[in-house]
Amino acid sequence: MRTNRQPKVGWRRESTNSPAFLDRLLSIASRHNAGLLLLIVCCGVAVVGAFVVRDLQTTSAEAQKMYSGSVHGLQQIGELQYYAQETRRATLYALTTSDSNLQVEYADQSRDADQRVKDGIADYGRQAKSPRAAELADRLTRDWVSYLNVRDEVLASILEGSTKEAVSLDLSGGVPAFEIVRKDLNEVKRLYDADASLRLTNLVASSRRSSWRLIEILGFTFLLSCGAVWTIQKSQMLSAIQLAKLQMEFVASVSHELRTPLAVLSSAADNIADGLIEEKGALRRYGAILQKQSRNMGRLVDEILLFASTEDQKNRYVIRPIQTLQMIDSILSGTEGLVQGAGFVIDRFIEQDLPAVLGDPSGIAQCLENLIGNATKYGGVDRRIVLRAFVAPIERGAGREVRISIVDRGMGIDPSEIAKIFEPFYRSSRVVAAQIHGTGLGLSLAKRIAEAIGGRLSVVSELSVGSTFTLHLEIAKGEAMVETAISTSLPARSSYI
Amino acid sequence: MRCLTTFLVVLALTAWPLADAAHARLSLDTDPWAEQGAVVEPLVIVVNRSNPVEDLSSADLRTIFLGGRSHWVNGRRITLVMREPGEPERIAILHDVCGMNEDQLKTHFLRGLFTGEILVSPKTLASPAGVRRFIFNVPGAIGYLRQSDVDGSVKTIRIDSLLPGDKGYKLHTENRVTNENE
Repeated sequence: MRTNRQPKVGWRRESTNSPAFLDRLLSIASRHNAGLLLLIVCCGVAVVGAFVVRDLQTTSAEAQKMYSGSVHGLQQIGELQYYAQETRRATLYALTTSDSNLQVEYADQSRDADQRVKDGIADYGRQAKSPRAAELADRLTRDWVSYLNVRDEVLASILEGSTKEAVSLDLSGGVPAFEIVRKDLNEVKRLYDADASLRLTNLVASSRRSSWRLIEILGFTFLLSCGAVWTIQKSQMLSAIQLAKLQMEFVASVSHELRTPLAVLSSAADNIADGLIEEKGALRRYGAILQKQSRNMGRLVDEILLFASTEDQKNRYVIRPIQTLQMIDSILSGTEGLVQGAGFVIDRFIEQDLPAVLGDPSGIAQCLENLIGNATKYGGVDRRIVLRAFVAPIERGAGREVRISIVDRGMGIDPSEIAKIFEPFYRSSRVVAAQIHGTGLGLSLAKRIAEAIGGRLSVVSELSVGSTFTLHLEIAKGEAMVETAISTSLPARSSYI
Repeated sequence: MRCLTTFLVVLALTAWPLADAAHARLSLDTDPWAEQGAVVEPLVIVVNRSNPVEDLSSADLRTIFLGGRSHWVNGRRITLVMREPGEPERIAILHDVCGMNEDQLKTHFLRGLFTGEILVSPKTLASPAGVRRFIFNVPGAIGYLRQSDVDGSVKTIRIDSLLPGDKGYKLHTENRVTNENE
């Protein structure tokens, strides 16, 4: 069951031309169910999407700024031109009537309009971004004031009733002064057009840059997605191939495991049936062989059935407090035949006053029997197994727990294989080559059971030194609920079985 | 026939001033608002803010309002601004400053324009705001307003060194009638 590094899968050796990075990527994808890769791709797409959105927002903000600036600028220039004309129009309208009340009204309209022109010029001056614009704003202010001086005289003459004088004043001073203002306003418009044209050029360039960036990013995202999809599909295919391969190996292994005792049973039965065995002593020996082989077959079938029953993830165990010492005694008693049959002895080192643990007695027994059986297979030449039971602090948490360790001095496990030994059907080529029989289910089953009863299984191993498998169990709180595990009990602190 | 018409016009123009003077003397002896016991409000003489004049005597004021003076000391042409006939302010000015009634003033200006003694006739405006805006626009304008209608756009001048509200200030008009339901 315990294995050294098995070749990852057949494809890895076959595809030696693939780049190492790709190899590793596929391996990761295969090992972590492709979800991690998908998550990485999603994160990548999200980051890229964030960049795209930010870029689009920047471009959009620039366009909006330019549009609002253009609208505001055009509106400002339009208002300046309109109110300058309005100032002059209202002044000239005052000439068309001799009613003083109407003349005053026109004078007021003219003054309202000229105030708006003044405000507009002041705004333009404040917003001027270039020295030329600032100089133009100053000039416009001066020219407008010059026109207003004439306008005031014209208005005064109109209101006094001197229409002729007003017309003369307007022709001699008002018209030329207003013409200068008109030219200034036209220059403002030209300057604005030039500025808007420059901003438009910049915006077009920025938009083009943004488009290219978007195309690049989309292309990158597309390639990344294609790569991810390909990797995921490939990894899933490889996982399926690997699983199929493992299952084939499992079927072959089970067939072999079943065929061996069957062959023994068959030949022993044939010998007895053919009357070749008549002596009582020989018959007894044959009976023992038949008994042993049929037990082996039964155990193998039980193991397979148990694994199949744990596949659906349903928890069939009832968690309750158990007396630890009695439970260990019971398990050791149950495995006595197996251990002695393999020629092993178990050294017990059990801490005094062990507290009760939480778990299911049959589950704990199945788990520990698997570990002990495993140790008898790979335990090495000194044929000794150590069982330790003690209380220790919980790793990465508060409180304490009971640990039951099965220690052997066998071939050990390569550190790179530690993560794989709990996978179902996993058997390394080293183990297969050593002709150690097994189905590849024992450790996987032990781990599932340990987790199902609320504990966990850990392993520490060193090549050619040995391995220690530890079952971690939660301490039960409240002695009243503690029940004796199994009726069979053995002496508490005997050193050897 | 032509000679007869000319004779009649000259006779009429000669006779009217005599009747005007008699009527004026009669008017000056009585205050139209005081007689009725009405509540009065000072009437303010206002000019353009650029006008250098600060003080006018009653006689100067009468001369100006009767069109006897055409220019200010700074050379600006004097433009006389008045309210429409029948307005209390106009009645007060005619009575207190010109010593005339409406008909007499009309006759006075008709005769002055006809003989060439008066060059510009008064401008008539419908509202106090109109008077204010007119004076604001015309540097040589002079007119009158109730004290409550005066704002910073025009300049108040003293009459006989007195400002409205000073003891002895003579120009007043009846208080504006307001509808309490408004």
